[in-house]
Amino acid sequence: MRIGVKYCGGCNPDYRREEVEEVLRKHFKIFYSEDAEILVLINGCRKACLLEEVKHPRFSVVDSQLSEEEIVSKVEKAMKKLLEG
Amino acid sequence: MMNGKEYIESLRRYRPIIYFMGKRIESVADSPVLAPHVNAAAMTYELAHDPKYEEVMTATSHLTGEKINRFTHIHQSTGDLVKKVRMMRLLGRKTGSCFQRCVGLDALCALYITTYDIDRKYGTEYHERFKEYLIYVQKNDLMAAGAMTDVKGDRSLRPHQQADPDMYVRVVERREDGIVVRGAKAHITGAVNSHEIIVLPTRAMGEKDRDYAVAFAVPVDAEGVLMIFGRQTNDMRRLDGDIDCGNAKYGTVGGEALIIFNDVFVPWERVFMCGEYDFASELVETFATYHRQNYGGCKVGVADVLIGASAAIAEYNGVENASHIVDKLTEMVHLAETCWCCSLACSYEGFKTPSGAYMPNLLLANVTKLNITRFPYEWSRLAQDIVGGIVATTPSELDYRNPETRELIEKYLKGKADFPTEHRIRMIRLIENLSIGAELPESMHGAGSPAAQKIMIARRANLEMKKEEAKRIAGILPDEDYLRIRGEKRE
Repeated sequence: MRIGVKYCGGCNPDYRREEVEEVLRKHFKIFYSEDAEILVLINGCRKACLLEEVKHPRFSVVDSQLSEEEIVSKVEKAMKKLLEG
Repeated sequence: MMNGKEYIESLRRYRPIIYFMGKRIESVADSPVLAPHVNAAAMTYELAHDPKYEEVMTATSHLTGEKINRFTHIHQSTGDLVKKVRMMRLLGRKTGSCFQRCVGLDALCALYITTYDIDRKYGTEYHERFKEYLIYVQKNDLMAAGAMTDVKGDRSLRPHQQADPDMYVRVVERREDGIVVRGAKAHITGAVNSHEIIVLPTRAMGEKDRDYAVAFAVPVDAEGVLMIFGRQTNDMRRLDGDIDCGNAKYGTVGGEALIIFNDVFVPWERVFMCGEYDFASELVETFATYHRQNYGGCKVGVADVLIGASAAIAEYNGVENASHIVDKLTEMVHLAETCWCCSLACSYEGFKTPSGAYMPNLLLANVTKLNITRFPYEWSRLAQDIVGGIVATTPSELDYRNPETRELIEKYLKGKADFPTEHRIRMIRLIENLSIGAELPESMHGAGSPAAQKIMIARRANLEMKKEEAKRIAGILPDEDYLRIRGEKRE
């Protein structure tokens, strides 16, 4: 399954956004592309600017510091939803 | 939606118990002491019917789809948050005062979010219950007073540790049909001329404070509710005529009361938190964020009036072109617009909560209010500088009206020949009202004192991130971007 990653602009993030990508790379094969079955939106704060711009039909949102388990669980949930149709 | 006149008439349907200056106020709608505060609140109703203002003054209810006054609306977007502060500035400018209704709005919004979160954790039904109450408020276009600040007693002790257990509002009895509450809330803006009182806890609570973790709503005339209206600087001047108080129509900022809840029964359908002490902090923080968002709107609207008054008095005195006057007026505008920027910024940077309601950026809302604890003092100082010492020495309206002294005052208080003496006196009094009265301590302590904002700002300062950036720039941590720019490889 193709999992895309899209970062917000990172003007004033509340946490280190790269940590989300590091976790994702440990567990999944990811791409910097919106051409994916699931798109993970990595927002630096709760404003979550990406939500206003991205039109992808299936996405998962991170907008604050999360544990490794929480990040993985978010993506797995989206994958499950996709598989269930 | 009610208009201003209908709002004032609606107050006749309530019989709250209010004391002021040793006497009971029998009718809020007819009291000359309360009239300016009532008029200021009425403006929030009146402008909702004016096509020139309805875009910011009204909204569409997300619950009923009906057109409602924005003061009863739950923000559904960052656009709503922005319109809220635009509404605040408009009303500050229209009244030169506090129009009081924002506290209830912020209490509604905070409860909408927190009741949702409590239900998610505990499976309770506060949110549905609250939505029913909200529809009632929206349909009847009610003004609610937000009552948060407890009297607190010994500030070093938690609620359950107080020598007198009533220093924070608490549940004294749980019954099948509701709860009984006791305690008092202090400095409650607009309470006497509201229809409803919404009570929220005032601080974070621990398990032993369970009885104090309570949120509810009651009508202002619920049995057991008693209010004592507070004095303000020069408050009795409004009974002497329409000049000396400076803003005869809309009064002085605020209009606060001490509300006592003397074993008040609250039915369950009006209880929105009862014992969930672990959510008291969230409720306080959410309310505070909404309320601190406002201050770069309403206070800047009032500043618009003060800046206008300062510019006008400079003309009346014939000094409007003096470079130091132009400089001071420009400085006042700069200070006011800086605060406006803050309110807009925290609104545009707002976010969606799990309940669906939007709330402002917490850090920026606190920065907004912290600026308001300082900048109004400076723009008031500048206004006092521009108007001159006469702001503290002008003869009374009674002497101005007295035939024996009127001509003398007319002659010797005259400024530039083009302007009537009375206009000069009126403008001096307006500046006195706006820069010496309750406006300043209200700016300091309303929505929380500076220390409260500093705590919130410190919590969200993200110093670790800032340190990391500093170390990267200083060459202590690697700078991947720099290496790529220079085509170098990391060692």
